[in-house]
Amino acid sequence: MVEDDPRDVELTLTALEEYNLANEVVVTHDGAEALDYLNCRAEFSTRSSENPAVILLDLKLPKVDGLEVLQQIKSDPKLRMIPVVVLTSSREEKDMVASYQLGVNAYVVKPVDFHEFVNAIRELGVFWAVINVPPPGSSRK
Amino acid sequence: MAWSIPQLQSARSISLRYGLAVVSVALALAPGLVLQHYKFHSVELPLFLFAVAITAWQAGAGPAVLSILLSSLCLDYFFLEPLYSFDFTVADIPSIIVLIAFAALIVWFSSIRRRIERQLRQARDQLQLEVQERTQQASLLNLTHDTIFVRDPSDVITYWNRGAQELYGWTPEQAVGKRSHELLRTVFPAPLDEINAELVQTGRWEGELTHTKADGSGVVVASRWSLRRDQQERPAAIMETNNDITSRKHREEEIRALNHELAKRSTELEATNKELEAFAYSVSHDLRAPLRHMVGYAELLRKRASSVLDDKSQRYMTIILESASRMGNLIDDLLAFSRIGRVETQKTPVNLDQLVKEVLNELRQETDGRDIVWKIDTLPVCHGDRSMLRLVFSNLLSNAVKFTRARPRAEIQVGCTAGEKGEVTVFVRDNGAGFDMKYVNKLFGVFQRLHQPDAFEGTGIGLATVQRIIHRHGGTVRADGAVDQGATFYFSVPKL
Repeated sequence: MVEDDPRDVELTLTALEEYNLANEVVVTHDGAEALDYLNCRAEFSTRSSENPAVILLDLKLPKVDGLEVLQQIKSDPKLRMIPVVVLTSSREEKDMVASYQLGVNAYVVKPVDFHEFVNAIRELGVFWAVINVPPPGSSRK
Repeated sequence: MAWSIPQLQSARSISLRYGLAVVSVALALAPGLVLQHYKFHSVELPLFLFAVAITAWQAGAGPAVLSILLSSLCLDYFFLEPLYSFDFTVADIPSIIVLIAFAALIVWFSSIRRRIERQLRQARDQLQLEVQERTQQASLLNLTHDTIFVRDPSDVITYWNRGAQELYGWTPEQAVGKRSHELLRTVFPAPLDEINAELVQTGRWEGELTHTKADGSGVVVASRWSLRRDQQERPAAIMETNNDITSRKHREEEIRALNHELAKRSTELEATNKELEAFAYSVSHDLRAPLRHMVGYAELLRKRASSVLDDKSQRYMTIILESASRMGNLIDDLLAFSRIGRVETQKTPVNLDQLVKEVLNELRQETDGRDIVWKIDTLPVCHGDRSMLRLVFSNLLSNAVKFTRARPRAEIQVGCTAGEKGEVTVFVRDNGAGFDMKYVNKLFGVFQRLHQPDAFEGTGIGLATVQRIIHRHGGTVRADGAVDQGATFYFSVPKL
């Protein structure tokens, strides 16, 4: 998960916990950190080199913006296969259009209502971590 | 003698001509006889020659022949031996021959003369006609109000028409003889040499000149020059026709300034629009995040502390959550409202019947289980932005459904009437709670509500949205109603 706001992180993890999906969630807090993680660079050079099963990406990020991260992921042959779900507050059409044009796999707008939010996270988690078969080379725990 | 010729040559003057022949011979005979009496000889022949000459010269060939005949008869009779008889000897023949030859000569001269005269007359008549035509043409030039003047290759003005006088203020007397470029203080758009070169090459030149009138004021003219060549192909005269375009030039300047102003405004507007977009984007994204946190943590708290919280505390929690939720709705509505102004409308033919069906489908959740009588007339196809018009129906129909909730049987009618030229007026009528006409002006205000939130929920932006959309389509909105007696909302859209 790439999310800069710690409160959003907490809410999302809490929602995932309810369905035992919070096991293997790596949180990076800005775009640069996210790219470092995916490329096993800098502070992540020692991690195991498997790709994550899915990336939950926020759009408004410091340093490197969410759309830029998306573009880098989708243009890197090693990372292109990783499913990316944009999870954002913005319902602006231009964000949607840009994301889809870059090849995002799903675009989810975080609802204000908490119950709806929890439902959405659960459905996302169940689908991507359980139902969907992740691309080869990704970790599945 | 010239004036007598045409008279003598007309048909009825044949008698005159032949009469002259006889008279002239007689006039020659008389002195001859007299002189014969006084023993002067050798003078008859010249006398008769004289008569023949006069006849031939004045009367033409026919009478000349007659006079020759008569003369020779007289000569023979009165003067040739034997006297008083028509006999003649061989010795007399030379005289006759001389007579005839002489007459022929005179006739010949006469015909030449007459031919020359006729030619001269014709030439003169033609010249007269031409002069008349030219004078007429020249006076036409003076009749027009257009400015025309002619100058010679050294720019000296040779003709100055009335139009030129009217425009520049100089009379022909003042203008003719002056050099035009000096008199009018001409300002040329290009070097004069270039202009003259073009004139000589093509025979014409067109352009805008600045002239100074007699009173000193300036005038801009659209000028056309024509070059006339003489028979040796040398430049002979230049005709200049000018049209006063000073006012036109002023207007062009004004238009240019206005366009410039417009372009500037347009750029400013674009900048403002961009700012608004950024603002809306910020609202969309940044305002929602803390709201979500509020709601999320409040829910988490409620779940965690439900056992500890008493009823009142629970109620407070609920109110906190409802308020946050309401704020979310407000933000969404406000964003949608602002989007109407930001986004460009896409005008296409829109089938209103279909649109109403779609919206009714959406409202199924609210209408299920309720007793609503729908009366939907056939609506025409109109010209507008589909998604925006959908929003109009969505707002109006959901309002109708909402405000008829208190009625056991709700009646909602959608219909249309003919509007202004090229427009159609659609209305949505319900038998619900209605409103007091006193407050009709507030109806379409942003976030304006005429009911308590307990009675009927809502953000109060629905009608404002409808108004904004319809205004963007160039139409009008109107509302009619009475408390507890339902309401009717009208809006106009362009017909297809």
